[in-house]
Amino acid sequence: MKLALHDTPNLSLNPKTSLWKQTQKARVAFLYLLPSILLFSVFIFYPMFKTIYLSFFLTDQQGEAALFVGLDNYQDLLTSQSFHKSIKATLLFVLYTVPAGIIIALFLALMANEKLRGIGFFRVIYSSTMGISVAASSVVWLFLFHPSTGMFNRVLNLFGIAEIQWLLDPDWALFSVSVSTIWLNLGFSFLIILGGLQNIDEHLYESARIDGASYWYQLRRITIPMLSPTLFFIITISLINSFQTFGQIDILTKGGPSESTNLIVYSIYKDAFINYQFGTASAQAVVLFICVLLLTILQFKLGEKKVHYQ
Amino acid sequence: MNIRNKLLLYLLLFFSAFLLFFPILYAFMISFMSSDEILHGKFFPAAFHLENYLKVFDRLPLLKYLLNSFIVSTSVMIGQLIVCSMAAYAFVFIQFKGRNFIFFLFISTMMIPWEATMIPNFITILKLDWFNTYQGLTFPFFAAAFGTFLLRQNFLTIPKELHEASQIAGLNTVQFFIKVVLPVSKTSLVTLGVYSFLSTWNQYLWPLLVTTNDSVRTVQIGLKQLQTQETATDWGVVMAGVIVVIIPTLLLLFLGQKQLQKGLTQGALK
Amino acid sequence: MAKKLKWFMMFSSFLCLFLLGACSNSASQSKNNENESSNNSSEDNTEESGPVEVSFWHAMSGSGQEAIEDVVNDFNESQDKYIVKPEFQGSYEELLPKFRSVGGTKDAPAIVQTYEIGTKYMIDSGYIEPVQSFIDRDNYDINQLEANILNYYKLDDKLYSMPFNSSTPVLLYNKEAFKEAGLDAENPPKTFNEIKEAAAALTKKNGSNTERFGFSMLTYGWFFEELVATQGGLFVNNDNGRSDQATEATFNSEEGLRVFNLLNDLNNAGHFGNFGTNWDDIRAAFQTGKVAMYMDSSAGVTDTIKNAPFDVGVGFIPYADETERQGVVIGGASLWMSKGISKANQEAAWEFMKYLQTPEAQAKWHVATGYFAINPAAYDEQIVKDKWAESPQLKVTVDQLQATIPSVATQGALISVFPEARQQVVTALENLYQGGNPKEELDKAVEATNKAIEVANKTKK
Repeated sequence: MKLALHDTPNLSLNPKTSLWKQTQKARVAFLYLLPSILLFSVFIFYPMFKTIYLSFFLTDQQGEAALFVGLDNYQDLLTSQSFHKSIKATLLFVLYTVPAGIIIALFLALMANEKLRGIGFFRVIYSSTMGISVAASSVVWLFLFHPSTGMFNRVLNLFGIAEIQWLLDPDWALFSVSVSTIWLNLGFSFLIILGGLQNIDEHLYESARIDGASYWYQLRRITIPMLSPTLFFIITISLINSFQTFGQIDILTKGGPSESTNLIVYSIYKDAFINYQFGTASAQAVVLFICVLLLTILQFKLGEKKVHYQ
Repeated sequence: MNIRNKLLLYLLLFFSAFLLFFPILYAFMISFMSSDEILHGKFFPAAFHLENYLKVFDRLPLLKYLLNSFIVSTSVMIGQLIVCSMAAYAFVFIQFKGRNFIFFLFISTMMIPWEATMIPNFITILKLDWFNTYQGLTFPFFAAAFGTFLLRQNFLTIPKELHEASQIAGLNTVQFFIKVVLPVSKTSLVTLGVYSFLSTWNQYLWPLLVTTNDSVRTVQIGLKQLQTQETATDWGVVMAGVIVVIIPTLLLLFLGQKQLQKGLTQGALK
Repeated sequence: MAKKLKWFMMFSSFLCLFLLGACSNSASQSKNNENESSNNSSEDNTEESGPVEVSFWHAMSGSGQEAIEDVVNDFNESQDKYIVKPEFQGSYEELLPKFRSVGGTKDAPAIVQTYEIGTKYMIDSGYIEPVQSFIDRDNYDINQLEANILNYYKLDDKLYSMPFNSSTPVLLYNKEAFKEAGLDAENPPKTFNEIKEAAAALTKKNGSNTERFGFSMLTYGWFFEELVATQGGLFVNNDNGRSDQATEATFNSEEGLRVFNLLNDLNNAGHFGNFGTNWDDIRAAFQTGKVAMYMDSSAGVTDTIKNAPFDVGVGFIPYADETERQGVVIGGASLWMSKGISKANQEAAWEFMKYLQTPEAQAKWHVATGYFAINPAAYDEQIVKDKWAESPQLKVTVDQLQATIPSVATQGALISVFPEARQQVVTALENLYQGGNPKEELDKAVEATNKAIEVANKTKK
């Protein structure tokens, strides 16, 4: 294929040669992108198309498309109360976890960016949650949340406050899961933001200090703008990740109580793995995909303009 | 910084470190407790018994699991670094038609819920006859939109002048990529390396699906084997397993952290 | 350059650390692999050299896994023609999709363990060989086995899978709390009303906090099903799906409503403690005295007796005052034989299944896990007698099973969408505990289950 293309320019007329030249960059780029494109095609695009295809069917027990139903699966979703609950829970979850997680991580990173003795120790501690798996950490949180012997309720008891049913009260469960999620993702956000902070040119601060600028002024006028590519990155990633949260739900609440923590991805997992309804699971996956896609496009359109690149 | 501020900062640092590390500390404490102590929600074990640790190693081929996890995570890390840096390079330094579109196509792969693609991928692996192999555990993760995105964001901060200068110096794209871009972006490469290593280390559902026996299984599956459903779980043993599993990752974070700092303070370009 | 070298050194030393640590293990691993490959080839050839090796997929973790490995080892040592390899595949939910993908091919494991609510799915799947074909061929006598367990796995008098780990729910109670509340500790409540009275007496309040709840139940569909069945109520139509494909859920009948009303009354009175969906959570609550009576699986009784710092009583599960006690439905899991694998492998699976039924194997299994012995002769074995002498409560669990009156109600429902039905019941229970109306919540659950049944039946050939 490539050889054949190589031969043509010599024989052909001028316009074609220039086309060959024009596309030269694209071809080089293609070579660089080839491994990614190949792998994505096999492991992501192909399953994605299969998912879209299945979303128009009811599947039999073997998970094969069995009955074409057109848009019925989607229609069912739109009218289904539990899917509405799912969407609401997912949006709330994103709202609880993303801003809080990034602000706390930024706060920690700003502290850990100071040049102090033993700061390396704190950096390891702050990023430590990155090293603990969802499975392992959720088990620990399950212990902390335990209604009778859990640490949190024991602390409340100590202060004479009424116990809270952390994971059993529908009003609290989503909050509790969010807390453990923020904790779990903190290490990663911290590490990324710290890396961004360290990339900022020290000279900028020096000249600001000579001008007598306060800490807050420096933070607002130097740190945040210079950090904007990193912040943009971590916000995008956190948003997407939080839409995809699964592990902690599976271990902590299984979507309950009263479906209050039934995030869309968990609902997809339940339909696909436990109930063998690949049709409805696929339809949910497609809806989720479109939602996140729109949100990300919006973010790129609005956000990337504000981001300051060197 | 004056003494008062410094003290305040240390206080804050310690306080947040304690809060953040508390769950891990708690797991560490539980791993030494007898089931009776755990039941009563004690924080400090009466004595530091090693029984739970002995039981964990007795129950599971934990060292083999650790080795497997290590091989799988390292492979994914190396694979991702190569594949993603190549893609990110194309997105930043080569002007071509449809660049933004393809980039967005890449990014969009992040939004596809992994749980939805898992079954088709599982069948692909089955057809490739990659059951119980390291390939099956690693290949699907070599290309990552996340890694490409991370590196792209970093490559974008490389001054344009550097590119022009290297062209004048007669470097071709491959040379520029390997000799200039990669060394300059060491920090992000380490970040991505640490990230891909840890996220692979922490995977559970996929390794479980594509393996049927212990030959290439990873530690997270081991952890799961310690917990039970209908009968009582021995939490002390589970926590001992948790601790054993997170020690290597904490170690890696520690080393990666040091390297990150060093690379930054000594970096000639900064 | 020097920096690079340093990083590389650090990295490789890390690697060495691991390699060293795992040296011994990896050696044995490669040996295993050789074994495996040589065996795969022997599977294809009809003439075999050496023992036939087959895989046994199971979902038992923790102590159950240890027990299963012991039993399998005993089998492997008892003869030299077959080797069974137990392989953990995650939870029941995680195991099934995997089996579904390899089912019917020669990659399928010879033996696979599936939870009771997957029974209908397995029968319909076409991936399995009913064990009845081997029973008929060998004229194997299955009447020695516990009839109340076999009933669950029989359809049209045909046994599809070999029962394995079987359990039923029981009522556990704190004897000390009973005495303290002035109740008869040797005579636990039997009916719904007696439960209510006892729960009222057992509940202890301290201001706004409840120090001890009278009664609790894990928020799990299984317990609800059992409380309906013991009144003789059906879960789905067409004789619980046993005379024909079920088309409608019927658990919002008066039997189902009685259960919901009981839980609602207890909850409204503040005598019911909600400890969620996690087995370990509710047990911890009981063992720390937070709740005085609760329903648990018979398989969990042994550990609870061992861990609780007080005397634990075991009773039958309660039934409604208006009805007679019918008994319990079996839960747990059974073993299935794959279709499409070589004859020799099926033979190995069959031999293993037969071995499992021996009183010695069952006695060991019962003592190690607390699951029932499928072969009641096991209860005469010395190790069981010793165990029962130590904790006589265990016998109650067996008594309850053996007192069960066989009927379609106590045989249990057969529906392919059982997992979803259970999720619906869980949601209904959770809504109920938050103040929902018993009738409405139950109707909602039935409606959702009906929809799932309808969808599933649409795609059936």
